[in-house]
Amino acid sequence: MTTPPDRAQQSTLKTSLPTAYAAVNAQQPRPAPPSELTPDEQEKYLLARPGATAQHLDIALQHAHQIQAQKDAENLILDRILDLVTLPTSPSADPAAPSAEDARTFKAALVPFRPSDYDNLTLERNYDQLCGYGLCPRRHRKEECGPGSQGSFKFKWGAKGSGPGGRGRSMDIVPQEKLEKWCSDDCAERALFIRVQLAEEPVWERRAGDKRNRNILLLEEARAKRMQETAAAATTGSSSKDVQGKEDVTAELDLGNLTLQDTNRGKELALERGDAGLVFRDGRVDVQIKEKERELHHPVAAPQLRPEDAAGGSIEGYVPSEDRGKQPADDGDVLDQI
Amino acid sequence: MDGDIASQNADAANTEMIRLWRTWKTVLELLVDRGYEITEGELKITLDQFKDKFSDPLGYPDRNKMKTSARPTELMKQKYTPLPSKSNPDPQPDCGLIYVDFCPDSTAVGTKQVRTFNHFIDENNYHTGIFITQTPISPSAVRLLSGIPGRICEHFQEQDLLVNITRHELVPKHVLLSPEEKARLLERYRLKESQLPRIQVSDPVARYLGLRRGQVVKIIRKSETAGRYASYRWVI
Repeated sequence: MTTPPDRAQQSTLKTSLPTAYAAVNAQQPRPAPPSELTPDEQEKYLLARPGATAQHLDIALQHAHQIQAQKDAENLILDRILDLVTLPTSPSADPAAPSAEDARTFKAALVPFRPSDYDNLTLERNYDQLCGYGLCPRRHRKEECGPGSQGSFKFKWGAKGSGPGGRGRSMDIVPQEKLEKWCSDDCAERALFIRVQLAEEPVWERRAGDKRNRNILLLEEARAKRMQETAAAATTGSSSKDVQGKEDVTAELDLGNLTLQDTNRGKELALERGDAGLVFRDGRVDVQIKEKERELHHPVAAPQLRPEDAAGGSIEGYVPSEDRGKQPADDGDVLDQI
Repeated sequence: MDGDIASQNADAANTEMIRLWRTWKTVLELLVDRGYEITEGELKITLDQFKDKFSDPLGYPDRNKMKTSARPTELMKQKYTPLPSKSNPDPQPDCGLIYVDFCPDSTAVGTKQVRTFNHFIDENNYHTGIFITQTPISPSAVRLLSGIPGRICEHFQEQDLLVNITRHELVPKHVLLSPEEKARLLERYRLKESQLPRIQVSDPVARYLGLRRGQVVKIIRKSETAGRYASYRWVI
């Protein structure tokens, strides 16, 4: 299944996890699924366990690979956190306009992250006295509230006119440690904007073609994009309707062409469902459908009336009470009647 | 007024000193209970001796000085030697020098300190390391601490070790079985190890004894009817 060069390539890699690995280097092809045991090893396993079959071995291997993938992913995330603590590369970097290089590293490193991992990163940066936003070189806020201020709360006032009904100011009561995670409100907004884009699913359960963590946008990028879009919508306001109409027509045509047994579409569908999994290419588990063959030894005939069935017979030895009157008084063994 | 502040300071220093003295004693007891060589004199250190040894000029404890290492006893080595097998006819004990370090930082112990500790353990070729901090350490630091291949690093908080939990009257005695004793137990009761009751590695007593996955621990309780009652648990 696996060719020797593939295996060599695998051993140089830190992880066997396709998605995480693809994140490291998108140009390289996906590695083959984890290699099978050699026939010798298989034989050894089966000999040591009487009653085990090759199927048991497969299942055991699948679980082992899953656990290994999970461990690798966790290590990878830890490495990434350690790396990201050192960002940005220059101490005078501006968090609002990070260098392209830093932004790229930051985004690429966040691919396997979950929001909880991101929180760990923030915590780790704070422990280093840095602002929790990965591209900000400043120190995080330290609000002096006097001795014993741990676990205290702060009032936070919004801009004028932000209160209820557009009057007064909005007010929030915020725990101090939440406030101290970042250097400023701007950085807090940037950092939380990244956090909401991260997928909740752990990376080892994500599907092979998962796009969610791939195109993370920084807050500034997202704003610029939206500006562009609104500008574009304003200029081409009339023509967009036509495009919409055309798309509807093509969708209808596609629907007409759909059939149930389309191998090409089937593969696409499997990919979409995430069935092209880590271990089994064809699905989560290796399902093989076999029809059970039943052999008929004698010709089938309709049941015939036997003499003891004339009065209705007994039900598993029990004779219904209507017939009981005809029976002898001593109520002999039911078996005798049959 | 100045005198007031000075005396308050001295009080605070004294309180911290006592707390740390108790933690230190628990650490030494832990080492003895695990089977490391600690002298009687070290174990019975008095508060005054402790103050002499570890206080800074202001009377506060100096955690930078608080580190120790210990060698395993022959008995412990025996307990940690796996049974000889065909592929490994002459097994070596899976234990060695232990190093205990108190982290001086009072807040924000993260990967930075843990990395230094890991590096020190690796550099000096210690088998086991115990890292003791005043505050909880960050999740990534925990993961990093357990990440050195071939070495074992554990973490405790100072407040966890203020009292030696195994000396409490409600905590039964836990005795680690050697691989040989474990094999005999399984033979005697015709069991597979998975059929034993279990104890988690994260159990406070298991953490105290530094138990590892797969070991079996014998728990001896007092019993009103039978005098004592032994049960066995498999560490998972």
